[in-house]
Amino acid sequence: MKYFRTFLPLLAAITILLVIFALWVPENRFLTTGNLIDLADQISVNAILSFGLTLVILIGGIDLSVGAVVALAGVVCVSVLNTGGPLGGLAAGLGVAILFGVVNGLCAVRTSMPPFIITLATMLVARGMALGFNESRPLPIGADQTFILLLGNTRLGGWLPLPVVVMVVVFAVTAVLLHRTRFGQHLFAIGGNREAARFTGIAIARHEVAVYAICGLCAGVAAMIYASQLYSAEPDGGKGFELNAIAAVVVGGTSFSGGIGSLPGTLLGAIIIGILDKGLNQAGVHFSLQYVVKGIVILVAVYIDVRRRKEAVQ
Amino acid sequence: MTPTSESTATLLALRGIRKHFGGVVALDGVDFELRAGEIHALLGENGAGKSTLINILGGIHRPDEGEIRVDGKVAQIGSVTDADRLGIRLIHQDLALAPNLSIADNLFLGREPVRFGLLDRRRLVADAERLRDELGLPELGDVRVRIGELSIARRQLVEIARALAVRVRILVLDEPTASLSESETEVLFVKLRRLRSQGVGIIYISHRLEEISRLADRITVLRDGRSIGTQRQADINMQQLITWMVGRELKEHYPRPPHTPGEVALSVRGLRAPGVNDVSFDLCCGEVLGLAGLVGAGRTELAHVLGGFVPSTGGEIVIEGHPVQLHSPADARAAGITLVPEDRKRHGLVMTQTVGFNLALPWTHLWSRGCVPDHKRRDAIVARAMKRFMIKASSAEAKIDTLSGGNQQKVVVGKWMEQPPKILILDEPTRGVDVGAREEIFALIGRLIAQRMAVLLISSDLPEVMNLSHRLALYRDGRIVRHGAAADFTPEEVMAELTREVPRTSPSGEITSHTQERRHYP
Repeated sequence: MKYFRTFLPLLAAITILLVIFALWVPENRFLTTGNLIDLADQISVNAILSFGLTLVILIGGIDLSVGAVVALAGVVCVSVLNTGGPLGGLAAGLGVAILFGVVNGLCAVRTSMPPFIITLATMLVARGMALGFNESRPLPIGADQTFILLLGNTRLGGWLPLPVVVMVVVFAVTAVLLHRTRFGQHLFAIGGNREAARFTGIAIARHEVAVYAICGLCAGVAAMIYASQLYSAEPDGGKGFELNAIAAVVVGGTSFSGGIGSLPGTLLGAIIIGILDKGLNQAGVHFSLQYVVKGIVILVAVYIDVRRRKEAVQ
Repeated sequence: MTPTSESTATLLALRGIRKHFGGVVALDGVDFELRAGEIHALLGENGAGKSTLINILGGIHRPDEGEIRVDGKVAQIGSVTDADRLGIRLIHQDLALAPNLSIADNLFLGREPVRFGLLDRRRLVADAERLRDELGLPELGDVRVRIGELSIARRQLVEIARALAVRVRILVLDEPTASLSESETEVLFVKLRRLRSQGVGIIYISHRLEEISRLADRITVLRDGRSIGTQRQADINMQQLITWMVGRELKEHYPRPPHTPGEVALSVRGLRAPGVNDVSFDLCCGEVLGLAGLVGAGRTELAHVLGGFVPSTGGEIVIEGHPVQLHSPADARAAGITLVPEDRKRHGLVMTQTVGFNLALPWTHLWSRGCVPDHKRRDAIVARAMKRFMIKASSAEAKIDTLSGGNQQKVVVGKWMEQPPKILILDEPTRGVDVGAREEIFALIGRLIAQRMAVLLISSDLPEVMNLSHRLALYRDGRIVRHGAAADFTPEEVMAELTREVPRTSPSGEITSHTQERRHYP
């Protein structure tokens, strides 16, 4: 009941969007089981990115590098596949993603540089490294790499996309981590009042590095699925993914000043962004206008959230 | 346990502690000794080195030189965890709580109960409730309420409860009563005396000498990073202490400026706002009207309405015969009202900026013609204010957060005085301010009165508000319950009036008005 009330506005928004697109998209193509399953499939990459990002934003940080890391982890993974096998490829891809997270975290902890600048820089580094592969052309995944190809394209029982399963697993793990462990509790404390956390004896540096590493890991997982869905790793891919993920996080009610937020909220935020993308597309809205609509929806959503929060304090 | 042997054992001994921050010497050879079962007051003006010293004890800073012994053994306190292990708990002046978390979460931060590796929220709440009841702090109320919704006084209680939640051997309190009302202070004192009888060594930092004379067994005074001396409380009088602290004699503790009231400057009729229920009073030029009330009585709410921070919901504000509407602080300023807010860091200063920036901020229209700043004029305004209010800073370009609390407060008051307002509202002007700076603020009030300013002094420091004010209004539950010439009241009367129907009678009743809606975090 408590949860329900907290997320009521987001659930209402989802319902309203579903109704709008059910009426708007021609030939009743929107509100069909098949279409909604496709929708879930398409949401999964952005959702996984935004789960990791939620933790970062919750402690008052930001990670702009996740989009570029998706591209880099993808090309690293595919490059290693032929010699290292599927496990080697996965390990290399996830490893490089975690490495970037750790570097982001260490820079944030050891220097007083703002995370926005740090991750802006590492975004450029990751993008540049990705573009260095295969003369910046897409690296196709060999047809014999069935394991990797299945990751993004399997439908369990003939209907349930594997990426959705991965998304649910990542969601469950991070949600429990954030909302049901001491580690998560400490993240709320760090985001709410860093000094208080420090005086309490919480090892802030360790928590912070871990959070950025988790965010990197999420980017790595998203990268594997993304590459698999495209049957190739694109050095140029993942552009703007960080912005879509940030949008999901803030629409989901996580405060940019830190300390307030939740993973269920982020999931709902990712669903809202996903519905908008797919619905506007299917309704035949020109892509230029799609950006405008999405921007306005984000503004309205965050405005409502800020106002609600203000009222709650008064 | 025999109290005599307990009370003579030396728990903590500091020898020759030195600490530099860059070129600044914060501590220059401090000796200090704390016995088990004593309350040892640490006194000194702001900047004397008290905060640095207790931060060394708490593991936040490390000394450059010197020796710390706990139970006679040399101790290295390199981290907060080390301090925890030695049983040292700090209660900070700047509240170290996470506002987005609940009372229960904060009480057990860093040592949350865990079940099967997962947070056990039910036990967390149950433990917090048990702790609240064991400590006898029913004032805390519902432990699931978020800290951000509590008044400063209650946050202080949470902080104290948190320190007492674990086995503590050495308890360090930095100005714990700064925002507590008298009755809450009494509750705290009872707790401290009980801890003392259990053999806990307590280091107590306060600027309130009356408090120390009631509570402390021994007193150590710090000045300029050195320990000036340690004395048994019974062997030292207040005047001597003040002399030790400031290194000079102070003539009068609370000088009252002469009272020659003029015409009515501010007239309030039936004012209403959240926390303010039907307030009426007149304030004349050249007088100090003291508003005495306990924490949570709605004093700050009233101040915020008069300062234009919060809109009123009813009633009338008349300034020099003209009714005014105060929709913003700019309106209040235009009407001649200046509010010096209680929370100087949040409402009074731009903490990331310099002394000069803050002093010149209200007067941009004087030193900036069109868009072109006139630095000479600006510097002149800043220099005048710094000189007039004796603001101690290395220069006008010193960052405001390098100043002591007293000097920061002088900046908050001083920044309005380039063109003095008609009506000045001071909300807790001496909170967290040392004796020397306090005297200067009192002297300043005297000068302003002589210039025919009307001053509304809001304070929970009873001697201060009683001695400084010409007229006194007793404030309770958002109402003025009694008023009259200050000289006609005795402190006992005032306390009796203010504490009537203390909110404690209704366990669910909140002390402040900020707690109507509660949000729990998923």
